[in-house]
Amino acid sequence: MGLCKYVIVVYADNALSSGRRFDYAEGDNAVFGNFGLAGNYAMAAQRAMHTFDTGPDTWKEIAIAQRKWAQLNPRAMMYNKPMDSESYYQSRWVTEPFRLPDCCLLSDGGRAYIVTTVERARDLKNPPAVIMGMGQHNPSSYIQQSTHFTGSTGAKKAGQIAFDMAGINVDDVDACQIYDCFTYTVEITLQDYGFFGPGEGEAWFKDGKTAPGGSLPVNTSGGLLSEAYFMGLTPLCEGVMQITGRCGDRQLGPKTNTKEPEIILCNDNGGVLQTHTAIVLRRF
Amino acid sequence: MSLKDKYAIVGIGYTPQGRVPGRTALSFSLEACVNAISDAGLKKEDIDGLISYRYFQPGQGELPITPYRIASRLGIAPNYLSQDGN
Repeated sequence: MGLCKYVIVVYADNALSSGRRFDYAEGDNAVFGNFGLAGNYAMAAQRAMHTFDTGPDTWKEIAIAQRKWAQLNPRAMMYNKPMDSESYYQSRWVTEPFRLPDCCLLSDGGRAYIVTTVERARDLKNPPAVIMGMGQHNPSSYIQQSTHFTGSTGAKKAGQIAFDMAGINVDDVDACQIYDCFTYTVEITLQDYGFFGPGEGEAWFKDGKTAPGGSLPVNTSGGLLSEAYFMGLTPLCEGVMQITGRCGDRQLGPKTNTKEPEIILCNDNGGVLQTHTAIVLRRF
Repeated sequence: MSLKDKYAIVGIGYTPQGRVPGRTALSFSLEACVNAISDAGLKKEDIDGLISYRYFQPGQGELPITPYRIASRLGIAPNYLSQDGN
């Protein structure tokens, strides 16, 4: 017996039209030229370039793949705004090593979802997205105080807990909806989940593996980079819509020349790679 | 006790999104909730838990979005109200 039968979770903001900014400096950071979240993530990404031999050649694959998904999603802010490799490299720096397409959007709007028991879900209007497993791990306070900027991030333990609960491993995952505040966040998250080994990101992402038609679709709405920014609700809600077959032109399966999904892995990440939740959804 | 296969997500609420000027953050919260409830095929009175995900300072001239404000504007009184996020 729980407290509730039907729980609604909502996130909304008018970030774009109210001019919300994320380039504020905390503490002494400004003295060192570090203004806000992009600066902090850039620091982790810069270190990863050294440690894992990654960089823009890997991240452009992520940005371009998600932009391709957005071309199939009329709701996406980047719908009708395709991007190729050349235009990626020609984009302005936000903070090195991130160019503009490496950074998520700011959006007006909102998103909500409703959770209940599988038992009650049977009688409702739409097919349910069954929560097969979930895990949380929150490994550090501030990135500046981390022993290792490159992790492991919370994805490692949170992912393992979620996989163990679901009784699956990475090979069972048909698609992912990954919190993508920056392109690098997608790479380090999938690496820590174990989809590829440290340093293998560039080879793994190339040739459109995560794009429409690819063998492991990632962020099929366009994600935070190319659809809209509603925190973890952008990836999770897209996971639900895909696993219940309600995605129209971007639906995984024959329409997008991809595998029809039985299991989709979704996540959220908070702070600067400090907090992490992984959720495994399965078809009912 | 494992949570495996016990719970499910049963409704999604979208709103207009992108650059949508002239609206408060709260108005988007309410619209997303109303649409999620309708998508699930529920009545608003069925909702007995409400979690407002994360928190930012409100824009100029707006009051903070709290779970209580969302619930009261929706006209519901859930057992559980929380401001939470990962």
